[in-house]
Amino acid sequence: MATADPRAAMPGRLHGLMLRHEMVLAAILVAALFVLSLQTDRFLTTDNLLNQGRLMAEIGLIALPMTYIIITAGIDLSVGSIMGLCAIMLGYGWKNLGLPLELSIALSLLIGTIAGAVNGWFITRVRVPPLIMTLATLALYRGLAEGISQARSVRGYPDWFFVLGQGELLGVPTQLWLLLVATVVAAVVLARTSFGRMLYAIGSNETAARFSGLPVDRCKIAIYALSGFTAGLAAWIFVSRVSTTRSDMGTGVELDVIAAVVLGGTSIFGGTGTILGTALGVVLVQLLKNGLALTGVKGDATIVVIGSVLILSILVSNWLRARRGVD
Amino acid sequence: MEPVLRLQDVSKAFPGVQALRGVQFDVRAGEVHALLGENGAGKSTLIKIVSGVYRPDSGSIVLDGQPVQLHSPHEAQRAGIATIYQELLLFPELTVAENIFMGHAPRRAWGGIDWRAAATGARQILASLDIHDLDVEAPVGALSVGNRQRVEIAKALSQKARILIMDEPTAALTQADVERLFAIVRRLRERGVGVVYISHRMAEVFALADRVTVLRDGAYVGTRDAAQTGEGELITMMVGRTIDQLFPKSDVPIGMPVLEVEDLSLAGVLDGVSLTVRAGEIVGLAGLVGSGRSELAQTIFGIAPATSGTIRVAGELVRIDSAATATRLGIAYVPEDRATQGLIRPMRIRENLSLAVLGELARRWFVDRAAEMRLAEDAIRRFSIRAPGPEQIVGKLSGGNQQKVVLGKWLATKPRVLIMDEPTRGIDVGAKAEIHRLMTELAGQGLAILMISSELPEVLGMSDRVLVMREGRLVAELPRADATQEAVASAMMRTAKAA
Ligand SMILES: Nc1ncnc2c1ncn2[C@@H]1O[C@H](COP(=O)(O)OP(=O)(O)OP(=O)(O)O)[C@@H](O)[C@H]1O
Ligand SMILES: [Mg+2]
Repeated sequence: MATADPRAAMPGRLHGLMLRHEMVLAAILVAALFVLSLQTDRFLTTDNLLNQGRLMAEIGLIALPMTYIIITAGIDLSVGSIMGLCAIMLGYGWKNLGLPLELSIALSLLIGTIAGAVNGWFITRVRVPPLIMTLATLALYRGLAEGISQARSVRGYPDWFFVLGQGELLGVPTQLWLLLVATVVAAVVLARTSFGRMLYAIGSNETAARFSGLPVDRCKIAIYALSGFTAGLAAWIFVSRVSTTRSDMGTGVELDVIAAVVLGGTSIFGGTGTILGTALGVVLVQLLKNGLALTGVKGDATIVVIGSVLILSILVSNWLRARRGVD
Repeated sequence: MEPVLRLQDVSKAFPGVQALRGVQFDVRAGEVHALLGENGAGKSTLIKIVSGVYRPDSGSIVLDGQPVQLHSPHEAQRAGIATIYQELLLFPELTVAENIFMGHAPRRAWGGIDWRAAATGARQILASLDIHDLDVEAPVGALSVGNRQRVEIAKALSQKARILIMDEPTAALTQADVERLFAIVRRLRERGVGVVYISHRMAEVFALADRVTVLRDGAYVGTRDAAQTGEGELITMMVGRTIDQLFPKSDVPIGMPVLEVEDLSLAGVLDGVSLTVRAGEIVGLAGLVGSGRSELAQTIFGIAPATSGTIRVAGELVRIDSAATATRLGIAYVPEDRATQGLIRPMRIRENLSLAVLGELARRWFVDRAAEMRLAEDAIRRFSIRAPGPEQIVGKLSGGNQQKVVLGKWLATKPRVLIMDEPTRGIDVGAKAEIHRLMTELAGQGLAILMISSELPEVLGMSDRVLVMREGRLVAELPRADATQEAVASAMMRTAKAA
């Protein structure tokens, strides 16, 4: 029966291929785990892995809306800057404006959402290409953060504030729970809801999506706003984890996030991608970084390895695509 | 005479479909050989084998008496086989000259592309086709479909083609453009080019073809000399039965106005258009390509909202600022260009059919898979869409079957106003009669239909009233009784000739 076809869960021609891409990733992941654990016995320990989970949460969270955005053939380069701006606002609102910390957190999340919505508004209404728009706000939001902070850092948060970034629940870091729940929700929304279907439609053929009466613009504004909100959330976690606020927080985050998403099989041309792939991509990037650091590889070399893995995975999936003769 | 190209016993299967089984076909120099068959009969597949897109599973291709293997479109082009596909493939941002010489541009000594030589070459090729009104520096995206097609032909000739394959070239053309295309094809025939011509329009086949080959269900049915056969015989060969009534128009009671457009203008495109479509009425909209028919439809549908003027739906004044709004108001628009506007080709039949009703289909936010499946299965049955099942990727369907998916998608919205832009483009004779019957039936249920068509017989056969557009204005309104071929055609052209 066609309805029982498990592949029916994912739209598009590429989904058989996607599964394969995810298999390739999973295989690379297992291989990386294996090799790294042979290199050093500090790698494959519960403590280390949980700690890596803690470090992964911010990238992982931002990667979820980024997957949505890239599926619609868009991109958001400003996430790192929004993260910086939100971190600053969190500290500034509390310390300088004298707001209660709770309110300051809410304010910073709101600002993140607005910053994202501004991206979305210009992209849909003024038709600025996403790459250009978010490149501009990458600079703009970072500039704002620096202007507001005046190079001062904010410290001295109350104890309860550190639960999110440094606490744990049932032995697992708090933010890892958050990431887990968010990932599952994001996956279900993408695969099962009409909103998710719309994202694939927009990415595959925006004109036809529009001609089908889908609210394309609203949909896009929503995902960019969501991206901003999530960057705000990541800022909160980040500040809570490192106990301080600085304006350069989140610099370069966009690269890690986009690398993870693309590594996860989401095509930069839009129309394909899954949350499962993104999750695997995020984990792989984090473990590679950690494993290489533990085996004594320097930072620059780590970037080289990650870049190579990225290219390799794209080559493999392109090769699979060519072999299947899609298009 | 030994044919330039001969296919013997060619078979080709796709997952779930035997597209061709043991087909034979040949082309001689200086002939037009028409290929006929229902939607999904395997015509496009056959020519894609000739043009190197697909490899046959079995059988042979013989070129100038030598068996050949065509591994890629590039190889086929080098062997002198040029193809104009069903879905035009030009690059819209590039200029006419760039498109013509895409992939084989004249080179400078140091290997760079000599665009000046390309422009000159493009002008020469166009002139050799008696085309003098095309600006080779203009981007192709700005051209009408008819002109884009001429660019395709010029591109084929720039590759020194001995065999030119045209897959439904006239599906999107108006009468005048069709005439010009025919002139070009005849000129090519005189030059000794072998032309393979696919069309669902019988009149064209008889106007142009020397021989006709018919396919049915991927099998070879027969080849006839055009002079020694007739429409009846060919249709019977194609569908295996006779089709009695071509335009099954019946009188239905006409009710209240459902769509009232007054003084609608869109800067530079539409100029004060007023029209009314009543429940049960089919209004035909005729005009040349570029006369603003599709623009009018898209303005009503909210794709390009009007700069002034009013629209009423069922008597109520509405403001339509997006297609989403229009859809909510019960307006459906079957667009002209199915590949870019009508379908999301990488997605499944099921997903395409439900696209315009996602909101209604959703339970809370979740797509109701079962309801979606039912919708898809219904549409496949109702429109006899030939596909292995609802999970098939739309881009893999034959052209006519893709068109049926677009129709199915919009009828699923249960609209009050149905605007159809070239609704039977690329649809075979049998299915066309079926769609016309459906239109009559829907009108009988009180739907208001506005039909744009470049096929005059279709406009005349189906419409209660015919409106004619020219240069963004409505220039004539003819009740069914007065709408003759001459009256409509002359209204379409009047100033076009004077200018
Ligand atoms: N790439 C493909 N993958 C799977 N099935 C295909 C593919 N291309 C064609 N088919 C199937 O092969 C059959 C023949 O298709 P083809 O495009 O040759 O029909 P056609 O005669 O050109 O029809 P039309 O008049 O509608 O253009 C159809 O059933 C179609 O669905
Ligand atoms: Mg075809």
